Amino acid sequence: MSGNSATAASRNLAACDICYKLAPAQTHNCPRCGAALHLRKRNSLQHTLALLITACILYIPANTYPIMYMDQFGSTESSTIIGGVVELIALGSIPIAVVIFAFSVIVPSAKIMVLFYLVWTVENHSPLSSRQRGLMYRIVHFIGKWSMLDVFVVAIMAALVHLGDLLVVRPGIAALSFAGVVILTMIAAHRFDSRLIWDTTDDD
Amino acid sequence: MDTLEPAPSLSTEVACPGCDLLVRIDDMRAGETAKCPRCGCLLSEFRANAFEQVIAFAVAGLILLGLANSYAFLTMSSNGMDRRITLWQAPAALWDYGMPLVAGMVAAFIIAVPALVLLLLLAVCIPLRAGRYQSWLETAAKGVFLSHHWAMVEVFIIGVIVSLVKISELATIDLGISFWAYAAFSGCFIMAVSSLDRVQCWETIERLSQP
Repeated sequence: MSGNSATAASRNLAACDICYKLAPAQTHNCPRCGAALHLRKRNSLQHTLALLITACILYIPANTYPIMYMDQFGSTESSTIIGGVVELIALGSIPIAVVIFAFSVIVPSAKIMVLFYLVWTVENHSPLSSRQRGLMYRIVHFIGKWSMLDVFVVAIMAALVHLGDLLVVRPGIAALSFAGVVILTMIAAHRFDSRLIWDTTDDD
Repeated sequence: MDTLEPAPSLSTEVACPGCDLLVRIDDMRAGETAKCPRCGCLLSEFRANAFEQVIAFAVAGLILLGLANSYAFLTMSSNGMDRRITLWQAPAALWDYGMPLVAGMVAAFIIAVPALVLLLLLAVCIPLRAGRYQSWLETAAKGVFLSHHWAMVEVFIIGVIVSLVKISELATIDLGISFWAYAAFSGCFIMAVSSLDRVQCWETIERLSQP
């Protein structure tokens, strides 16, 4: 294994996203797997930004509307994402509260901010090196799906907790908005082309 | 059709998917990994028995997923009343409460996509293991690498555990056979997906496609 510090683009080669095959940049389809071939993902920054802005808008109802209702002995309690974390702390389940807080609050918001930052620094100076930003991108890409945790918890509770009229859990509309946020940020991370971080850099 | 011996080593040139640096992989042996020297991205992880491992884990995973859909998943009891659910009822409950979109996503991420990925892995790895080219290899392998990001089996397992803690104040919960089958299935799924190296897979397909 050796690096000769030339990029595929500098040799006029496009790499396939699916099978990593190298082919001349003018080729329309990958000669090995047939997928559409581009030097860089097309309109990567515009698509990423559009998806991020949509995710930001959906993030508001996801946090202000209830994600779950609990009907117990004739009275109804609703809880938001943050409310669920507070309840868990009150129950004394600190580790679970930390897990939910991390994946439902910190990860989605940090992910949106990191992707905005990465898009911004493609065309503007960044105090962080390309290597650091590349690592940030890989972490964001890897951790994204873990935010679906809260949606799965709502699905399981709504299915399981149903004892006549005594005790019923129902899903709230925030489950839909929050699932939308998670999926949109996952697609945004996928649409972002991390090679753009390196295209304007001098450091190797 | 000729059958070919599995390659003892891997030599190729790839562009790092993270930063586009051209990296020459020379004579990589079983157990070795190739990382991009510039950005640190993992490029390839060559395994001696990769295709056999994938087949074993995928078959085991599909059987376990079948079991996970056949028995009780969780049982809740409180004040002399019981409520027993199967795996499918998690998405089905969302559907019943008027959330077909979320229900569809949950069903896709925890059952449909993982099952599809395992079937596609078998369609790819059985011919590769046998050293025979098949016309569907490229399509099936593309399907694997496009869809496996959307399987969330391990997230769902953690979701079950979180739910148990939340409900434990209200009722007694029993874990059913299906839960244990699904937990084992999620382990097999992760092993099957991570055993298949992208570079090794496509290089083998290309080698078989050229007579």
